[in-house]
Amino acid sequence: MQPPLLTTRRDFLRTTLLGGALSWTVPSFVANTFSALHASADGALTQVTTGKDGPILVLIQLAGGNDGLNAVVPYSNDFYHLARPTIGLKPADVLKLNDTLGFNPALAGFKSLYDAGHMAVINGVGYPNPNRSHFRSTEIWQTASDENRFLTDGWIGRYFDNACAGCDPTVGINIGDRLPQAFSSHNPTGISMQNPASYRFMGAGLNDDEEAAYRSMYGASPDDGHGTGNAGGSVSMLSGTVTLNNGQSALDFLERTSMDAQVSSDKIRDVANKVKNVATYPYGGLANNLKLVARLIAGGLPTRVFYLSQGGYDTHTNQRGSQDARLKELADSVKAFTDDLTALGQFQRVTMMTFSEFGRRVTENGSRGTDHGAAAPMFIIGGGKLQSGIVGAEPSLAPADLEDGDIKFGTDFRSVYATLLQNWLKTPSTAILGRQFDTLPLIG
Amino acid sequence: MLSPLPAAQWNEATTAHLLNRAAFGGSPQDIEDLRLMGPDRAVSWLIDYERIPDDTPPPEWTQGLPDDLITQRNAISGAVDSDTRNLLQRMRNLDENKKIADLRYWWMRRMALGPRPFQEKMTLFWHGHFATSFEKVRFPYFLWLQNETQRQAATGNFPQLLVSMAEDPAMLDYLDGERSNRNKPNENFGREVLELFTLGEGNYTEQDIQQLAKAFTGWGLAKDQLRYEYHPTNHDPGPKTIFGQTANFTGEEALQVICNQPACAPFIVSKIWRFFVQDEPPAAVVTALAASFKASGMDIKQLMRTIFRSQEFYAPDVIRAQIKSPVQWLLAASHQLEAPLPTEPMTLVMLLQLGQELFQPPNVKGWDGGVAWVTTNSLLDRYNFAAALVEGQRVPLPSLLGQMRGFNASLEDDGLLQIGPAAVQQLFTAPQLATPDSFLTALQARFLNGSLNPIRLASMREFVQSRAPLQEPDIRKSIRLLMSTPEYQLT
Repeated sequence: MQPPLLTTRRDFLRTTLLGGALSWTVPSFVANTFSALHASADGALTQVTTGKDGPILVLIQLAGGNDGLNAVVPYSNDFYHLARPTIGLKPADVLKLNDTLGFNPALAGFKSLYDAGHMAVINGVGYPNPNRSHFRSTEIWQTASDENRFLTDGWIGRYFDNACAGCDPTVGINIGDRLPQAFSSHNPTGISMQNPASYRFMGAGLNDDEEAAYRSMYGASPDDGHGTGNAGGSVSMLSGTVTLNNGQSALDFLERTSMDAQVSSDKIRDVANKVKNVATYPYGGLANNLKLVARLIAGGLPTRVFYLSQGGYDTHTNQRGSQDARLKELADSVKAFTDDLTALGQFQRVTMMTFSEFGRRVTENGSRGTDHGAAAPMFIIGGGKLQSGIVGAEPSLAPADLEDGDIKFGTDFRSVYATLLQNWLKTPSTAILGRQFDTLPLIG
Repeated sequence: MLSPLPAAQWNEATTAHLLNRAAFGGSPQDIEDLRLMGPDRAVSWLIDYERIPDDTPPPEWTQGLPDDLITQRNAISGAVDSDTRNLLQRMRNLDENKKIADLRYWWMRRMALGPRPFQEKMTLFWHGHFATSFEKVRFPYFLWLQNETQRQAATGNFPQLLVSMAEDPAMLDYLDGERSNRNKPNENFGREVLELFTLGEGNYTEQDIQQLAKAFTGWGLAKDQLRYEYHPTNHDPGPKTIFGQTANFTGEEALQVICNQPACAPFIVSKIWRFFVQDEPPAAVVTALAASFKASGMDIKQLMRTIFRSQEFYAPDVIRAQIKSPVQWLLAASHQLEAPLPTEPMTLVMLLQLGQELFQPPNVKGWDGGVAWVTTNSLLDRYNFAAALVEGQRVPLPSLLGQMRGFNASLEDDGLLQIGPAAVQQLFTAPQLATPDSFLTALQARFLNGSLNPIRLASMREFVQSRAPLQEPDIRKSIRLLMSTPEYQLT
């Protein structure tokens, strides 16, 4: 009688693999994993619609829900001071933009940009029926959906689908671990990396014949740091959506994507090493990521959209300590980035947008912090044709004008998206956002 | 149409294919043992698994619940002040995170080592079909319960499985069935049942959803929030009109009406075919399978037996044409390397990075699978994780985890960040290691159940020749290289 097949060498109850004392937690990521198909037109290795001098959009996610009121402070508003007896900023401390609004002093870097005409501050950005869950509201911002709809593709992903057929895989780059939902698309494009050294086939080290062998398997010569050849399998031409119905097999798809990984990995490392940063950046993760972005832009990658994330904005307790530090890091890093881009001759091509899943409540809570809210300001920074200044009416903080104690939105965030899509990236926005949203006078 | 594969066509390739699809792959010995059974007995060995005893213990923390949970909950609600309550909440969150990690790893080990691999594979299918997520259901206990229910009912009768899923606490929580009552029926569950679990879009109306929502009222949780309980006063006892039939349907009766709809059998059959066989089920196959599925009262085991015995299952364009899921990738590699799973942190990090967190699918549709697993990033990750599995390198942790410095240090101390190199020389006989060609033949047989394309093979041959005579490190590198090919990602 045949012995049971798979039980002979097993000892299921052996628990040596688990260190008994240690408990390992799995952090719950706000940015999810999700399906990401890869664009596979044969022209992927050449730039079709992305030009090396084309406009670039840099998105910075402020993860956690940035408190707009303590960033762009309505310093002459009594309701603000009444609602925030301990965490409110004093009028004397704010960097005044006009008679009513001023920046938190941590945003000195932003003030320079504003004064130099490179920043627009959009008041009261949000959406109807705001959701106050990190997960769900982030999803809404990433997919540009109405609050009662559930989309899986991201708005940038739909931009890639609509405007980037045959684009290079590096047309979208996320500096981070996994693609954000904003990039999720039907013909997925875009790569994620923490740094050029990690986005590659990792051999054992220098003079590593393992890596050389890997390259030669993909048709590149072992000495050649630039894989350009065919993978040896059939790479079929595709049109339209990527499904395997178009005569392409799963193997073809894998061949193509593998080749793209190899080529984009080499290209990024080349570019990142070719250019040097000029400006002095502050110390920190965001600054490091922006340094890399500056080099990739100046090095001529065909990337159109960069995505970065800065965490730590979920300031339920002791907000002044944490939010001020986050804002300072943000402003100082962005200022250095714009200085760098200017010195590298690239600033006029770049527009940046910050966004956060929600603002925070008007009234402080009992822990010298604030809880999840709704509308908040957005910062747009740009070196080319940006209409600097304050956009949109300052939201009223009178209790009667609040919604459940939260700021009502005046500008739908999809108007901001529409503006950047149409006027900066020069692509129609209706198909991408589902309908037409009014644009704002930001560009041109 | 769907006639059994002739015994004459049963060979190593078809056996490997069966083991890869109905289970998670195996070593050459595993494949040979199965091949010797012949097609009928091999399929039976896999799917008639009740004959194989399984006394795998559940996760230790699921026993002693629910009392622990009640204690925990009472402590939080009875906290003397908000600071204490916040602290207890944070402790509970940490506890939940610990348990979900433990649950994920428990299931991975069960898939890797358990005596009934097909039962686990079928459970994995239902896990994606009846998707719920830890993102919302913050209760590892419920998720474990649901997993066990799916496991017990994996090859039973579909209508019964559907009812047990509808009355499952995790599902009730996830789709808000728990918060539905006769005054305000919640349509979320009704919609998902029709769209995702039974009929698919286009085969029902909004009216059907609303009426179904009424029938489903009354399902809920017991007062302790720890188990399913039916609340008659919440149930709408009146008439509902579903798919043209009017009666005072209870929830269970409504579900049977749905199963009897013409669209149901083809929907289920297609989904199963896509998961186990190929992306595009041929229409004639779906029609034939749906008819016999329906005639059998929707008997899942009978369906699977038909599929795994059929010539269509073993067609040349089916074999080695499916992209491995992350779970499949890791488990198959373990079998091929005859090595244990990596440690819990490493296993869960790999699956997270590759896009398949168990108990946390990206949305209600589960995981799309197929080409959805493939991006430039995920391929590079698979190639680099292969280096960790085979050559014993550190797995590059996502930076988010890497930033938790103190945490990293303790993982390091406990040896949980490192994967030791795999012992690979023992996987090959001396004759197999004698020449580059004999080695490559054995290498491809073990790791691909197939072969590399000629260009890759030529590159591998050059590499192997340059390193002959082969020692352990050379064999490891060869394996790592082979795992870094498009061909390796197929099953």
